Amino acid sequence: MLEKLLFQSLIGLSLAMYLWLLASGLTLVFGVLGVLNFAHGSLFMLGAYATFTFYGKLGLNFWLSIGLSLISVGIIGAILERLFIRRIYDIDLPYQLILTFGFILIFDDLVKMVWGGVAMIPPMPHFFEGNLSIFGRAFPIYNLFIIVAGLGVAVILWLALEKTWWGRMIRASASDREMASAIGINIPVLFTTVFVFAAMLAALGGALGTPVRVVAPGIGTAMIIQAFVITVIGGLGNLKGAFVGALIVGILTSFGILLFPVFELFIIFVVMAIVLMVKPEGLFGK
Amino acid sequence: MKLKSLFLAALILFLLLLPTFAGKYGVYMTIHILILSVFALGFNLLLGYTGLLSFGQAGFFAMGAYASAKILLLIPSLLLGTIAGMVAGGIAALILGYLCVRHTRIYFSMLTLSFGMMIYSLAWKWRDVTGGDDGLVGIPRAPFTIPGILSINMTPMGNYYYFVLAISLIAIFILYRIVNSPFGLTLKGIRDSENRVAFAGISIRNYRLLSFTIAGLYAGLAGSFLPPLENTVTPPLAHWTHSAEPVMVTLLGGIHTFSGPIVGSILFYLIKDIIVRYTQYWLIWFGSIVVFLVLVFRGGVVIFFTERIWPLLSHHSPPP
Amino acid sequence: MAKKITRRRFLKNAVVGGVALGTGLGGYQVTYGQAKKTTGPIKIGGQGAISGAHADYGWQMMAGATLAIEQINPKGGILGRKLELKFMDEELKPATAVKNARYLVTDWGADFLFGIDSSGSAMAVGPVLPELNRLCFVTHGATHRLTEELVYQKGIKQIFRMVAPVYQDALAALVFKDNPEIKRWAGINCDYEYGYVAWNLFKENIRKFRPDVEFVAAAWAPFWTMDFSSHISAVMAEKPDAIFATPWAGEGVMLLRQALMLGVFDKIQVWWQGMGGSVDILEGISREVAADKFKGKLWATARYIHNWPLTPENKAFVDAFRKRWGKFPNYSAEASYSTIYAIKTGAEQAKSLETAKVGAALEGMELKTPAGSRLIRKEDHQAIYTVPAGRVIQSPEYPIPVLGDLKVIPAKDYYRHPPFTPIAATK
Repeated sequence: MLEKLLFQSLIGLSLAMYLWLLASGLTLVFGVLGVLNFAHGSLFMLGAYATFTFYGKLGLNFWLSIGLSLISVGIIGAILERLFIRRIYDIDLPYQLILTFGFILIFDDLVKMVWGGVAMIPPMPHFFEGNLSIFGRAFPIYNLFIIVAGLGVAVILWLALEKTWWGRMIRASASDREMASAIGINIPVLFTTVFVFAAMLAALGGALGTPVRVVAPGIGTAMIIQAFVITVIGGLGNLKGAFVGALIVGILTSFGILLFPVFELFIIFVVMAIVLMVKPEGLFGK
Repeated sequence: MKLKSLFLAALILFLLLLPTFAGKYGVYMTIHILILSVFALGFNLLLGYTGLLSFGQAGFFAMGAYASAKILLLIPSLLLGTIAGMVAGGIAALILGYLCVRHTRIYFSMLTLSFGMMIYSLAWKWRDVTGGDDGLVGIPRAPFTIPGILSINMTPMGNYYYFVLAISLIAIFILYRIVNSPFGLTLKGIRDSENRVAFAGISIRNYRLLSFTIAGLYAGLAGSFLPPLENTVTPPLAHWTHSAEPVMVTLLGGIHTFSGPIVGSILFYLIKDIIVRYTQYWLIWFGSIVVFLVLVFRGGVVIFFTERIWPLLSHHSPPP
Repeated sequence: MAKKITRRRFLKNAVVGGVALGTGLGGYQVTYGQAKKTTGPIKIGGQGAISGAHADYGWQMMAGATLAIEQINPKGGILGRKLELKFMDEELKPATAVKNARYLVTDWGADFLFGIDSSGSAMAVGPVLPELNRLCFVTHGATHRLTEELVYQKGIKQIFRMVAPVYQDALAALVFKDNPEIKRWAGINCDYEYGYVAWNLFKENIRKFRPDVEFVAAAWAPFWTMDFSSHISAVMAEKPDAIFATPWAGEGVMLLRQALMLGVFDKIQVWWQGMGGSVDILEGISREVAADKFKGKLWATARYIHNWPLTPENKAFVDAFRKRWGKFPNYSAEASYSTIYAIKTGAEQAKSLETAKVGAALEGMELKTPAGSRLIRKEDHQAIYTVPAGRVIQSPEYPIPVLGDLKVIPAKDYYRHPPFTPIAATK
């Protein structure tokens, strides 16, 4: 029984990493820019489509494809930020949410127009085929890779925010925009870089999912709600919280399928509601 | 403004005569517009007048739809179904609202989102009651009966249309009175300046709760109109993407006007219907319109019309 | 305050007037359905999933129907009138399906309806058909309740199902009943009615032959599941001999791929993928089949496979389809193609396009179709025809995998027939 649970937890852990990649960008944008970007899931979806095109259609090297996808979606993120997101930083919440929701609609149709509505599944890279024996069960190497990648991103993010000059500027702007601007930080440029970075994180999540999951319109939107749940549980704008939240949601979902197959969807939202009512700032918020 | 009354009269006359010149599908679409209007009006009581953005109204809409469906499947009385839907929406809103209104802004919105999605997952999973994924089907378009007095057959689309129209007009009228009453004024005060209102000794939470409950009643009412029309109810009615509809159409029409949600609903269906005749890609157009409105004209179509177009046409200055 | 009172009084009057007018006009009767036009093209309205993970099925329906229309029109159409097609997106949502059906009939003027991918949508559209007074030929939605309840019990005679229903998915019971080494079955099923019924029907049937069989685990995946690893892992924890799986289309491909990754095919003896013989799944797993990753353990059926029966009619259809569309026809394509020809046959026999007359003509008719001989059963309007089960293999004759080692079991051996006892539609 214990082995069953541990194995299922590992599966849940790999699930959690996709969620972490999506939620980290969402958290970054909310924490620093103050915008809750509904369309963040669309960036995830674009990352998946881009990787499918480079790797599945054009047959480029897997790593190269991922890199190109990050760059492409980063560029889209930059355009999005400079032309649209920039204009909604200081307006009321309803308008912010609605604008980003509008982009969900636009991107969904856009991918249908370019790639067609049919779902597509690219091949798995050879070096990831196969599995390891863990607890006497076969655990796919690819899932292990995802876990490592997710942890790697967490470490990189932490280093970036704590140790680099860019990170310091971000933290300063997040806590006090006016002051940061007053001491000479170029806020507009900084914000663009943050948005681009977040977009690339989302794209990475989508890209890494391509060999195992279907690439179809709406895959991002399906996950964005879970990403919201995660950011709420962890604390809006709190990266450490987002990581823990992703772990909770990923593993809970995985357990739910094993132990309470009827309720797994419901449980996630109950947890979200409880957190909001009891400690709205989230587990790690102040 | 005599003109406004005239315009209103003309509109109502148009609606009354609609079935005589519109095709069956036109009548069908107008019923949908009415449903969305009632839904969005209730929503805007919360947003435009109370300053609370709820992303879970679809949950109450769904409660209304499912309650109405369950009643109709047992007792074929349209009136009973409609009342059941309204009550279900209202009660759910009262209970959940109690938990929500102590929070504001983003936390409020997120909380409503989670409650809406809880209702969605319940509808999805509770097969025995809600039919699960497949929903409830074969719901009859029951006759409108007042026992002992009259019974009108609702099978012809035109008859059902008049039923929905009559109830919707009454509902709209009642809401109009609510927002122009002292209650409505207090809501606006809470929206604009919480502290001042609190110092006047008013229980902000109670006012918000009442506003939330009314919004839920209206959502439930709108939801109750759906099962007899479509003969089927399914879980996506409670999904957050359906909650986004009243938000969008209210923005489209104008958050700070009473008629905004109605105008927005009309435009939403018209735009979609027109675009869909030429291309299957209507979402991108609609999304673009939404983006444009937020960036360029946040007041929505109604304000755009009264402040920009109308003065040009009538050489008058815009109304205060 | 003057204008407010005016408006208020006016509104009140309008409402009272409206109710009065409405009650009076209540006598105003919008006719049941719409009369069919007697000249101009015959309009065929279809709908299916044309976006998302199941998008190939809708496309195939449209492709099959278009091919038939393109063959029939040059020869004079039906009763001297040409055919015109309009195909809409069902979005796999019952509410959308009903809306489309209404639009197609009342606004666009469809004379006949066909298509519908999801069972839920089919069950929602069915009850609306008497009001619309049009025949609807379902070419995918597989729930038994469509024919057993709506047609047989409730008498909604406008429904015809041209395609094999969920009885086909449970064929595994007959295929593996004589394998004593396969005792422990586990299910990975769709978390909606199709999944419940297929699994329950399978369990019911195999129990009849093999009381020793155990059902050791079951996992349920709703629509839009992207990651089945939790489900696969939960089920494999119970060490089954064989797996019965129903997720279809893109989800089926993902499920199989993820199962490969989790080393399932090293452990089990058989994997039965209900609709695995469907073209989109075979295309999706072609690389893995070519590398024999499934180790010959993957079995499947479909609602038609292009490589059976080996008749001239079937070959002609497959060749024409490939020439026109560059793909192999799926079962939804074949069913839609056969539907158009069925409408032709029925209308010509009835010498009319009237709904009731065409419907009556089709009852009990035995049609010659690419899938073989199709008998349209009078009691429930279900088309009865045989589709084999087989092992998924790579064959030198075809560029994509096909079903081989075919087990041909006549449909009448396993199709349910009246009187119908209910199948549990719960887990």
